[in-house]
Amino acid sequence: MTTERNATATATASTSTEANPGGLVNVNQVVQLADQLSACADQIHERVMLDIKAHDGRPYGPPYGSPYGPPIPEAKQAALRALLEDEVVLRQRANGLYADAATYVVKSLGKPQAQLIALTTDAAEKIRKITLIGDITGLVAGLLSLAGAAATGQAAPILLALRKIETQITALDEHNPQKPPSPAT
Amino acid sequence: MNICRFPALFLLCASLLLGGCASTGPISLQEVREFADASARLGGYAELSRRYRDTYEREQPYLSPAADKIARENDAKRRAVYDDFVSIQKSVVLYMQTLSLLAGDTRYDLSGRIDDLGNGLKANAESGLQQRHVAAYTGLTRLLTRVIASSYQNRSVETMVRDGDADVQTLLEAMISLTRLYYKTNENEKKTMLGIFDVEIPLSARNSDRMLVTLAKIHYLNKSAEYKLIDRRYDLALQGLTKVALGHQKMRENLGKLSQDEVRRMLANYCRDLHKIHEGLSGE
Repeated sequence: MTTERNATATATASTSTEANPGGLVNVNQVVQLADQLSACADQIHERVMLDIKAHDGRPYGPPYGSPYGPPIPEAKQAALRALLEDEVVLRQRANGLYADAATYVVKSLGKPQAQLIALTTDAAEKIRKITLIGDITGLVAGLLSLAGAAATGQAAPILLALRKIETQITALDEHNPQKPPSPAT
Repeated sequence: MNICRFPALFLLCASLLLGGCASTGPISLQEVREFADASARLGGYAELSRRYRDTYEREQPYLSPAADKIARENDAKRRAVYDDFVSIQKSVVLYMQTLSLLAGDTRYDLSGRIDDLGNGLKANAESGLQQRHVAAYTGLTRLLTRVIASSYQNRSVETMVRDGDADVQTLLEAMISLTRLYYKTNENEKKTMLGIFDVEIPLSARNSDRMLVTLAKIHYLNKSAEYKLIDRRYDLALQGLTKVALGHQKMRENLGKLSQDEVRRMLANYCRDLHKIHEGLSGE
């Protein structure tokens, strides 16, 4: 029994918390990041829906909303569809992390877990509040590369993606020094 | 004189025997048996594990090539560990079945079931289960093998509950964590499918392809009804696993008092709850 337990311990040594303090090394932390990415996807979706609704100024309730309003310009439709696509990819990334949590865990993130979560929470909040939907695109791209990097478990690309998101968030803050009233609330 | 002493001796023996099991009459482990039975046939987890494994089949038609690429990787990850997820449940079910038989009056032969425990979990980093889950699985398998192979003659229900509790709790906890992950994965699947229609229906409606939009709306309604039912199943499965864990913990805490009224009532309550959950899971 003891030898078996030891063998198992060696096999899963990388999953133990002491392996890499400060990194995203245990299952709960992986799940937490996936939760945040899912929440960001939710925010993207809400923003897209708000934009559609705002277009004809009528209340919208899926799937019965305003079928005969004025057509949304092609360019705008394309932008909305691109965001929808990003949302779906983000959900796949999140599901990949859920599968990781049930399989292996992301190793050596090298950045404090709390900071990672705070950043993605911040991103979700930004998505909710930004007035111009076009401004979201850069931020969403950053989130997508973070999600992709997290799935590889490699520290370097993750740090790169984190910096990208930080820059985006700072840039958005400069854009909107006074947080505009959100159309959502 | 000898003839007179005989009934007295009998009475003495009888009172000693009865005194040993408090005021409840002869020892009955009926509630233990019923609880173990209800735990063994709870359901939910196996079906939701399958559903988790098959996520990709359902979502595939809705995905763009970029999303599909990631989805296929996720699919492989999920399939790689499915067997382990099922093994955990099998061992817990077999444990409960064995406990039920121990608590019953009938003789039995479970030796065929030992094979069912298989070769154990993959016990490596890829199985996704933490080391203690694997250790618990090994421990429980050993306990079962011992109990079943020795036809338990001198082993009691209480010994089994005492020896098994820690491992059973760990495995149930693993099942609960996995079910939560299934649920979260399902949320993203649901929001992907419905989300596409959320956006596309209003966009397409303006382009006036009325038949297509109508079909899309019908599809949307069907899907959203389907997911509502599924959500309920995750909820019930989690409730059930939690009840099983609690019930077993209570038995462990009340070893030596399992045939007392109070403990029996408590176990009967867990049974009733488990039956309700089982009905909820099989009714829909």
